[in-house]
Amino acid sequence: MAFPIAFSKLHMSVTDPSKDISRVYRFLSQCMQYPDAKWMNDDFFNVFYNLLGTLGGVEDGVSIKVEIDNSEDPIEDLQVEYTRLFINGSPHVIAPPYGSVYMDQSLQGAFAGDTLAFYREKGFGMNENADLPDHLIHELEFLSLLAEEKDFAGEEEFLKKLFRPWYAKFHPRVTEGAHHPFYRVVVQLIDFFTKEEDKDGFQPNEA
Amino acid sequence: MAFNLTRRKFLQTASLAAATVPLSKVVSASTGVSKSGLDTKGTAGDKTVVGGICEMCFWRCQLVGKVRDGRLMKLEGNPKSIDNGTAICARGNAGVKLLYDVDRLKYPMKNVGERGAPKWKRISWRQALDECGSKLKSTVDQYGAHGICVFPHGASAKYPMHYFERAVGTHNVSEASFFQCRGVRDTAYVATISKAPGEKIDMPNTKVLFFIGDHLGENIHVSHIKQYIQGLQNGAKLIVADPRFSASAAKADIWVQIRPGTDTAYMLAIMNYLVKNNKYDKAFVEDHTDGFEEFAEAIKGWSIEKAAKECDIPAEQIKEVADMLAANAPNVAIHPGRHVSWHGNDFQRQRALACLTGILGAYYVKGGWVPAKGPKVKGISWAKEDHGHEFDLNMDHEEDEKLYPYSPPGTPTDLIRDCAITGKPYPIKSCVVWGQNPMQTIPNQQKMKDMFKAMDFVMCVDVMPTDVTAWADILLPESSYLERYDYIKKGTQWDLSKKHQQYIAARMPLVAPMFERKDQVYICNELAKRMGHADKIPVKTIEEMVDKSLASVNLSIEKLRAEDGIHIQPGKDPYGVPEDFEVLLFNEDLADSGHPGAPTYVPVPRTPNGFARLLYGRAPVHTFNRSQNNVWLNNAMPNNPVWVNEEVAASIGLMDGDTVGFINSDGVKSTTTTTVKVTAGIRKDCVYMYHGYGSANPLMTIGVNAGVDDTSLITQIAVDPESGCHGMRNNFVKLIKNGKVLDIPA
Repeated sequence: MAFPIAFSKLHMSVTDPSKDISRVYRFLSQCMQYPDAKWMNDDFFNVFYNLLGTLGGVEDGVSIKVEIDNSEDPIEDLQVEYTRLFINGSPHVIAPPYGSVYMDQSLQGAFAGDTLAFYREKGFGMNENADLPDHLIHELEFLSLLAEEKDFAGEEEFLKKLFRPWYAKFHPRVTEGAHHPFYRVVVQLIDFFTKEEDKDGFQPNEA
Repeated sequence: MAFNLTRRKFLQTASLAAATVPLSKVVSASTGVSKSGLDTKGTAGDKTVVGGICEMCFWRCQLVGKVRDGRLMKLEGNPKSIDNGTAICARGNAGVKLLYDVDRLKYPMKNVGERGAPKWKRISWRQALDECGSKLKSTVDQYGAHGICVFPHGASAKYPMHYFERAVGTHNVSEASFFQCRGVRDTAYVATISKAPGEKIDMPNTKVLFFIGDHLGENIHVSHIKQYIQGLQNGAKLIVADPRFSASAAKADIWVQIRPGTDTAYMLAIMNYLVKNNKYDKAFVEDHTDGFEEFAEAIKGWSIEKAAKECDIPAEQIKEVADMLAANAPNVAIHPGRHVSWHGNDFQRQRALACLTGILGAYYVKGGWVPAKGPKVKGISWAKEDHGHEFDLNMDHEEDEKLYPYSPPGTPTDLIRDCAITGKPYPIKSCVVWGQNPMQTIPNQQKMKDMFKAMDFVMCVDVMPTDVTAWADILLPESSYLERYDYIKKGTQWDLSKKHQQYIAARMPLVAPMFERKDQVYICNELAKRMGHADKIPVKTIEEMVDKSLASVNLSIEKLRAEDGIHIQPGKDPYGVPEDFEVLLFNEDLADSGHPGAPTYVPVPRTPNGFARLLYGRAPVHTFNRSQNNVWLNNAMPNNPVWVNEEVAASIGLMDGDTVGFINSDGVKSTTTTTVKVTAGIRKDCVYMYHGYGSANPLMTIGVNAGVDDTSLITQIAVDPESGCHGMRNNFVKLIKNGKVLDIPA
């Protein structure tokens, strides 16, 4: 399986910025789903490489493509890597993607409860088959929904109080522990779209 | 790696939309978060959920859970319990941390690496079950049902164990709780009083407690400890035979610092003294025993002086103990023990305990061995089928008799293991491990590894990634005892002298299982469907199993829940010797099978020069190796210091707190180290450590390499000739400090 790199020229267009950032969050959430050929296909990687190209991350895209092109079964490689990094890995699970692991040293700690409470205050809840509320995927989904609703203050508050405190600990674990470039790049992307800048910081309510 | 834009600039560029519009085309439609009713702060509240039955150990205290928003916040004893009451131990409390242990197994996984050096890949349940079902069926088709061996443990393993034994038809099942623990106790008592003894001694109402190696206080089961403490409070005398100054020895009136392995000689001398001096219960012996004369004849050579020399204890002390027992008989509690697979001569020691109880007349009397009269609840499982004994490894087919006539249920472990490794007398090619960790429960780890390497297929079901799971091809995550229905706990009030009551409590989930964890009935039934046994499935769900069982006593899950998780009903007076009760002081069947008919002392290997005997035991905050990854319990007792006699330590230059490793008499070195505890409270010829440390599996991020795994040093395996159970305390070690091997002075 080979994925073409096609950093096509982007067309200028005008859309609602809140929808744009909402799409980014949802896409990042998708990237953190367990790899499966049903969605992790040529289209997905083309879009992924395009986004990287827009951000000046062509080399990152190339490193992923090389890894994938050189593999007999790139999806299984990513599944093994995902399992090792985020589920049960050997020598040990590198970076469980749950906030309370970093804030409470446990799954389902008080931090997970606080996260769920925040969702509810904003009028959202967890679906029946969802993972734990403080899973990275769901937090990104929630941010996407807030952005869609133009609740920029809520987005900012959530990032500051309930996302960045643990993500700042999670991110380096993946960066240092990943064998496959895909997840190193994904966590870098998530970091890019969620961190506060020192000055002239991200002001979603002014965007 | 760094992107050459700032986020702010990116979000302000007109290219944002162009870059993001395509993103939405490659994301899934559904999310885990969706719009719901608004919730104001602080409305979630806490609720008390009833129906918990603990399984941090096998005592199974009754629990309630404090649950907030689906999260278990705290465990407490069920206030309605007449067993443990509101009390639970440190391990019971720490169940919360097992439930939410980040290292717990979450999804089915396939090993795409090698056994012992796995590379895990998450797979779907369908794929996992299809692979397990087809591989196991293929083994049965090619080699027969006996081509599968099973290593089960715990409440959740009972249903699948019955499936493989009864429906599939393999004899090759070995439970560590029998063959490496209490099986030899049970079969020795069955050979003596026709009943397994449990720990059914009436401690609150006894006058003397007699322990051989029991170290209550370090070995904690809540209602048992309540009984023990009540007995001591009521003024019972305590006799403890132990090479170590254990928690029980510290409370003892008489501490017998016995040479390990000689307990039977000690008890033979006591019994011989009682017989010769007419200090035994003649009426009880006349009415309720058989073979007294042969028994007395067989033990007559055991004078107190002879035992004193063999056991390395003062003769006066043996006499003092015997007189104390006689003076207080029949109200004396001779503890049958629990983990008693020590030296490979254990059947005889357990027989001696049962016979000592008998000649003191201490059965069914206040303060003696008294089985409480609990309620009878019907068990529901796979229908029994006769599969014959053609492939029973415990049969000597030429002589048409059992190799180990007093084997516990199942097949002695080494018969299975040797067969699997050599392929003789037939191939065993698939292995199912369910809740057991044979790498840390069965001695000789290399042999265990060789066995797994010889398999065509290995599947493991567990809640944690224990050491054995690294040897699996398919690894299945099981829901824990806090997330499922299953076990029905029943019993009586903890103090038999109080108002007679019975209780029935079924395990019910305190919270829903997270991730894709499944219960044993689901997993086992799905395997059965794939192996061609769909028509034999006894229940569709685990709830149905519990409900059917409860229906036998006119109860149901619903009714139990309405009764706060525990049904209480009037009980029965347990005291009074049944007319047909008989103690076989001399067992003719035993004698006919070529084993001693009367309790007999079989000497064990003495400690070689330069070595110390390795002893191990229970820690109060751990249950074997099952709890080693628990954050709270690890914090309470992070490693297992080795006890070294203070004179020995001084002579070889060891200080309290020094870091040491081990090498055993077979040259096997520990892969980890621990600290030294220098103490006067252990014999010079022994060292001691708590069992259940030093996991080798890095997936156990808390337990890995914490302390030393005593099982890794147990390479000399004694096999008890009557039962086939292992004896694990005939191993000898030297300590290693700073790379230097230290000889232990004689």
